[in-house]
Amino acid sequence: MINQKDLRPKDLGRSDEQLIKLESLMELKAPYDAEGMEPPFTEPKQAWREKYCASLDGYVGIDKLTRPQSKEEEDEFVRKFLRGLEKVFTDANSGVLQPFLLSFEYCAKCNTCSDACHIFKATNSNELYRPIFRSEVLRKIVKKHFTKSGKLLGSFVGADIDVNWETIARLGELAYRCNLCRRCAQTCPLGLDNSLLAKEIRKVFSQEMGIAPSPLHEKGTVNQLKTGSSTGITKPVLLDTLEFLEEDIEELYGLKIKFPVDKKGADILLTHNAGEYMAWPENPIAFAILFEEAGLNWTLSSEMIGYDNVNYGIWYDDAQAKKIALQQMKAAKDLGVRRIIIGECGHAHKAAAVVADRMAYGEDKIPVESCLPLLWDLVKSKALKFDPSKNNFPVTLHDPCNVVRQMGIVQPQRRILKEICPDFREMTPHGVDNYCCGGGSGFAIMNSMNFAEFRNKISARTKFDQILGAFQDTIEQVEPPKYVCAPCSNCKGTIRDILEYYQATEKFNVHYGGLVELMVNALVSMKKPFFEFLE
Amino acid sequence: MADLVVNGQVIELDEDGFLVDADVWNEEIALALAQTEDVEELTEDHWKVINYLRDYFQKFGVAPMIRKLCKETGYDLKTIYELFPSGPAKGACKIAGLLKPTGCV
Repeated sequence: MINQKDLRPKDLGRSDEQLIKLESLMELKAPYDAEGMEPPFTEPKQAWREKYCASLDGYVGIDKLTRPQSKEEEDEFVRKFLRGLEKVFTDANSGVLQPFLLSFEYCAKCNTCSDACHIFKATNSNELYRPIFRSEVLRKIVKKHFTKSGKLLGSFVGADIDVNWETIARLGELAYRCNLCRRCAQTCPLGLDNSLLAKEIRKVFSQEMGIAPSPLHEKGTVNQLKTGSSTGITKPVLLDTLEFLEEDIEELYGLKIKFPVDKKGADILLTHNAGEYMAWPENPIAFAILFEEAGLNWTLSSEMIGYDNVNYGIWYDDAQAKKIALQQMKAAKDLGVRRIIIGECGHAHKAAAVVADRMAYGEDKIPVESCLPLLWDLVKSKALKFDPSKNNFPVTLHDPCNVVRQMGIVQPQRRILKEICPDFREMTPHGVDNYCCGGGSGFAIMNSMNFAEFRNKISARTKFDQILGAFQDTIEQVEPPKYVCAPCSNCKGTIRDILEYYQATEKFNVHYGGLVELMVNALVSMKKPFFEFLE
Repeated sequence: MADLVVNGQVIELDEDGFLVDADVWNEEIALALAQTEDVEELTEDHWKVINYLRDYFQKFGVAPMIRKLCKETGYDLKTIYELFPSGPAKGACKIAGLLKPTGCV
């Protein structure tokens, strides 16, 4: 094991059982600055060390990355990686080829990006998580194998890395220590993007080597292409669920609402992350209440993939991303809707509105919009009537990276909160300078072995600290309840898990949820509170 | 994760202790899975939840939403947590032999 301060990119191939061990983490704000407020680190099981790659920092993110059984397997693993790597440098069809090459070539190592990274910050500047550390490892491998000078002169020109199974496997794991939030890219004076390099490493692993975390691939995109949803929800389950929710809405709120399904020629096709139906059904319910009260011409789709807007492919595999994006477009096209409105799911925003924009053309394309400007429009135009005093408790807003930093949708959600929440307070920093929730790029759903501990303690640490910061004046009083508004399914899942991990709901009455739930709670027409914690 | 041995039969579990093959489930395996979840015995209340989960899973191929589980069994979430300390997904579904939940849940 190396002291992290002495760790250099060339060390990635060392034979240590574990390269570094995390001990020191950023101190959290009160009351979590006190001893014993945070669960301690746990040790990885010996069986995991033997079977998987736990040799980076003791965590296992990729449950499909298993140790080779023979020298041949080991060599084949390295060969496949190098072959795949060569491809990503020359793939003219890659939508990110130019920014990828620029990011690879032009880094001046000024380290401005380091200060921007929430994981580097959370680990008290641990070298392993420096945003350019991973990039430098990749540069050394490329230098060694694909340049004349590297082949001939080796360490004299920076090609001083031993490229073996351990090096590549650790690099694969290290690609899953970055949330792809692109906060570093935003601060880079040259506009370079380390997340592109992390993503391309993931891509080589998946597309060329068939290795990806099973929550993203086998149980994610493959499951979605087979059943229609990464949750496994099929058309009969969706219809059964909607019927159940309609009964629930009537019993709970006395409202008669019928979810419009497969309504041909509707103005809006509303797409949700199907995880909402399973874990947060109040979110699709709230959308339905608002859209019906505002009299919008909208529909849901029950057709294949039309009811799940997730596209995990954008985190690790371009081929999977494209298959899903095109099927989602087709579902909208078949219904003849005018536009797709993406519900509260951050990566679905990026996948459908930005990434898929380069995948579907001409007649295959349906305009894609975010739900946030539409929701603001309903508030601003007074299509809905609110009584803000119903939301009379402290509310803060988490900015999902994909919606805010990637797409620049910053103001609508704030304007809504300022209208309907008398005690709205911003996090510091916020807007495009927000910190990732810690669940971005798949971390939210990677729960195998000990990866959830990495998320709860490290990648989500900065966000938890921001939440504490926003509620400092009231955190230690149980009343009133405090609400973290996170208009994104993945962010919600991550925030749910940290509130549970740090027992913040239990001890300090901190709650979380989406934006539409707050809107419905403040509707004049609602006879009783929408939130259970207000009852 | 160490596999489960029930009546001399080796039952394969994933790293988080869920069945790899849902079809092998039977009541004895449920009892053995319950031990891994710190549930000492399976009472009538436990079986009501387990049977509902299994019926739904056999009909639809996925676990029901938690809200539906509560309504159909008549137990609120607090009671479910009392019966299955790791909760409906990690506890009850595991013992009922359902596969690990997938997607953004």
